[in-house]
Amino acid sequence: MIKKIQASIKNIWPEFHKHKQNDHLKSFYTFTDYWHLWTMSIFVLAVTALSPLCIVTLIHYQLIQKSVDSELNLRTERLTSNAKRSVAFFMEERLDALIFTVNEMGYEQLTENDKLAEILKNLKLGFGGVSDLSVFDEDGSQVAYAGPFNLKGKNYKCQPWFLQSLKKKYFISEVFTGYRDIPHIIIAVKSIKPDKSFFILRATLDTERLMKTLTSYKTGDHTDIFLINHKGILQTPSTNYGNIFTQTDLEIFNYSSNTEVTMSTCQKVPVILGHSFISTDMVDTPFILMVQKKKAGMMHIWLKLRRNINWTVGISVVLIVLVITFASTFMTNRLYLIDKAKAEAMLQMEQNQQLAAIGQLAAGVAHEINNPLAVINQTAGYVKDLYSFKDEPRSDAEIIENIDSILEAVDRCGTITQQLLGFVRQFDIKIKKISLQKIVSDVLSFHKKEAEYRGIKVTVSIPDTISDMETDSGKLQQILVNIINNAFQALDEGCCLDIIASQIDTRTIELVIQDTGCGIPEDNLSKINEPFFSTKQDQMGTGLGLSITYGLVKKLGGNIFVQSTEGVGTSFTITLPVKIQEGEFS
Amino acid sequence: MKVILVDDEQKFINMLAKRLALRGIQADVVFSGEDAVKKITNSTYDVAVLDIKMPGISGIQLKRKLSTLNPGLKFIFVTGHGAVSKSDEDLIEKDFYLSKPLDIETLIQRIKELTKAG
Repeated sequence: MIKKIQASIKNIWPEFHKHKQNDHLKSFYTFTDYWHLWTMSIFVLAVTALSPLCIVTLIHYQLIQKSVDSELNLRTERLTSNAKRSVAFFMEERLDALIFTVNEMGYEQLTENDKLAEILKNLKLGFGGVSDLSVFDEDGSQVAYAGPFNLKGKNYKCQPWFLQSLKKKYFISEVFTGYRDIPHIIIAVKSIKPDKSFFILRATLDTERLMKTLTSYKTGDHTDIFLINHKGILQTPSTNYGNIFTQTDLEIFNYSSNTEVTMSTCQKVPVILGHSFISTDMVDTPFILMVQKKKAGMMHIWLKLRRNINWTVGISVVLIVLVITFASTFMTNRLYLIDKAKAEAMLQMEQNQQLAAIGQLAAGVAHEINNPLAVINQTAGYVKDLYSFKDEPRSDAEIIENIDSILEAVDRCGTITQQLLGFVRQFDIKIKKISLQKIVSDVLSFHKKEAEYRGIKVTVSIPDTISDMETDSGKLQQILVNIINNAFQALDEGCCLDIIASQIDTRTIELVIQDTGCGIPEDNLSKINEPFFSTKQDQMGTGLGLSITYGLVKKLGGNIFVQSTEGVGTSFTITLPVKIQEGEFS
Repeated sequence: MKVILVDDEQKFINMLAKRLALRGIQADVVFSGEDAVKKITNSTYDVAVLDIKMPGISGIQLKRKLSTLNPGLKFIFVTGHGAVSKSDEDLIEKDFYLSKPLDIETLIQRIKELTKAG
């Protein structure tokens, strides 16, 4: 099973991942690092494809966020205003009722307990939320009381609310417990008696009714609506801050008659905070209405939408990345396979061309060998004749002379085969120290006789001062063989071939091979380094010689350029590094 | 029957001349095309054995010159190359050509064939 999985992974696994470096093939690849190409391709495609998606998503997020924020603000502001109006109206309504009662009844009637109880009953019926009524003299003593608590006769002159009531005509207190130990609010109206002294009618409002009013504005679990006083103490219970009289850490804003909405946090949760100071037309109250809406709670529709967007974007990103990875892998693999096939074909061609060049040399070499062989053949034949034709006089000296002649011819053959072997051995990549002079004269040695026969004047000018080169001698030799072979093919009798070397600097050598041959027509000059371009149709040219020569010069880290005028001659200029760089070598 | 041998490979044709002499064929030896022209101007030959590749005048060019000097002259070409190029082949179609190293008996046979035909 595991083997099966391994085998199938091996099949799908792209070829370029299994690429092994081959020194012979390396230089023929168009791309050297397919891993890098693959990752770069995925990266660039992914960035190009994903960035618009991400940017649009972010813009969309921001737009929605903004519109949601402003919608939330608006809703909170409206809720705060409405609740504030209700609370203010609640206070105002009861204050107005008290003012009316004071003005209508006067001190005398109000101090009658029965009358007061009746008024309380009517107030309860008409408005509700009033738990008792009391009338106080200016010394703080309660002169009349109607209500469920037994508070008659108590003196309030030291009570804060009483002291405050003395200062103003109308007074609305904070929530406090007082003698009865139940949270309540006091509304007091100060009025002048006929004897010019004053009295106070006080109504106690139970907070229940107020809380109900507030609760009716709660639109959900995420909304908290409550009152605080100017010191930040809770006046009604709060979902977020706890029970009544708890000190909150809420920021107390400067007084403003308008409703204001701010962004804030409550227990590290983002909230929208609406606040408004509650006041009536006649008197300010100590209350601030606070509305806290948890953003998350109000944004659940948006959050749901965002979750959907996230999923869609996420799946799209995964799909895009998968498609890109698949496409990149496929394309890189195809490119690799094509490149590999090309590299192999190029290597094959280079080797074929090398063989062709050697074949070409072999023809010259055959002639060189056949001549001494003919000498051996005839001399040996003659010696045999001396013994076959019995009457023929023969001397030892003549025999020895003939055998010497045979030996000399054998030496000539030996020298030529040695030179040829020196060439054939260069197939392997080998960097060694070589003398340019020697390598040029080696190559020319094969053309010596041909030059002689055809009257071609070959001049070699390589100064002794030229540094020895450290390079791949096989490749250099092949370059020279290709160019010199070409030159010999282009030269007519009596033409010249000059090989001139010069040292440009300590690191570079320039080699100029110029002939006075037929030259290259201008149209062809740009094509001569293209593979398969040949004008030697009748001579079976492969069209690879010069293109491979160009490639070989590049491999040695050099440059080659050609100048040619039709009918005047051609000049190849090769610049080569004295010492081949490790990286360049392949 | 008089034969002239032209080749720049001196030892080769010297030996060849000696061996032909042993076989009753008189052969004169020259080492260049120029000498061959001089020699033919002074005396007549039946067959000329020419090396195709020689410094100066090549075997083919020499054939043209010698033909004008001695129209009845027959030619045998000798070459160190295994094959003769296509352009040269057209010129020597009617003549014989032999590859080096050559067999003396074959050469004599060719010489005889040529002189008989003539």
